[in-house]
Amino acid sequence: MTWESDVVDALVANDVTTVAYLPDSAVSSLVDRIEGEDRLDTVRLSREEEGVGVLAGAWLGHGRGALVCQSSGLATTINALASLSVPARIPLLALVTRRGDLDEFNAAQVPFGYGLADVLDTIGVRNTSLEDPADAGRRVGMATRTAFSTREPYAVLLESTLTGAKDEF
Amino acid sequence: MSSEPDTDGQRADQTRCTAAVLEATPDAAVVSNLGVASYVLAGVEDRERNCYLWGSMGVTTPVGLGLALEVDEQVTVLDGDGSTLLSLGALATVARHDPSNLVVVVFDNGAYATTGGQPSGSELVDFAAVAEDVGMRSFEATSDEAFVEAYAAALDHDGAALVACRVDPVDPESRPPLDFPHVARRFRDAMDGA
Repeated sequence: MTWESDVVDALVANDVTTVAYLPDSAVSSLVDRIEGEDRLDTVRLSREEEGVGVLAGAWLGHGRGALVCQSSGLATTINALASLSVPARIPLLALVTRRGDLDEFNAAQVPFGYGLADVLDTIGVRNTSLEDPADAGRRVGMATRTAFSTREPYAVLLESTLTGAKDEF
Repeated sequence: MSSEPDTDGQRADQTRCTAAVLEATPDAAVVSNLGVASYVLAGVEDRERNCYLWGSMGVTTPVGLGLALEVDEQVTVLDGDGSTLLSLGALATVARHDPSNLVVVVFDNGAYATTGGQPSGSELVDFAAVAEDVGMRSFEATSDEAFVEAYAAALDHDGAALVACRVDPVDPESRPPLDFPHVARRFRDAMDGA
């Protein structure tokens, strides 16, 4: 079993119905696994911010949504998280490939990627880092349960130590 | 459909068009953009199936898309020109998934009416043409009568459709409930659930 299949199993086991995503090389294996899972509907986005709306709509229709994107994409969602998900108490799970820290080669990924957890903390979105593949399914399942029980967005940051950083060195 | 700026001055009435939406589709789930679209909707009728947004400009149509993909019932979005301009790419996302139970109405008053009426620049934008170009079906209206026909045609279309409706700016006094979690919970409870 790979960490990707453990994560998909955790989503399905916790009644996630819909995954909205923007493709990214660091999560391509996860997205492929999600696309191949009949029990998950997928919505391909043009911009990650849309995903917060799409998954709010899914929840309002009694579904459960997860957003899969890279940290630079999550940067586009901050207004939607802070002015829809958080104040309206509309939950979602975010699985975010975190750029900007260990092994990062691109300075443009650093300010938001490195500061991601602080930004989320500041707007009231709880989050946790995921580094150990052996722990991935369990922690994503726990994140999903707490998001939908407390009716809040929750973000799981997929660190480069888990996903493997882009090798540009 | 034309890409020429619309300068003929004919405009529909946003309040009467909003009432026409509820008359044509009384059971529809209606997602309304922050500001004027929500204020007008609340004044016409404060229904349980009204999902008023208080923030997240540019994300109104995506909320409608996610809802339309989750449920079988009619979903109608009441968006504005400023919000639509903020995220034109969302129309491409709608077209990609193309749910037949989704109608997006863009009430185009040419202004950021909620923040003081500053011009939005929408007179240079043909929302119906943009929607068609990314793969949605679209209809246009510049009068109340034309809106009723355009909305009916949009409902009939077997796929997602957009109605671009030029309206005069309005400044209603009505407001939706300020309790945002209540609005969301009431709406969700009113949806039947799978």
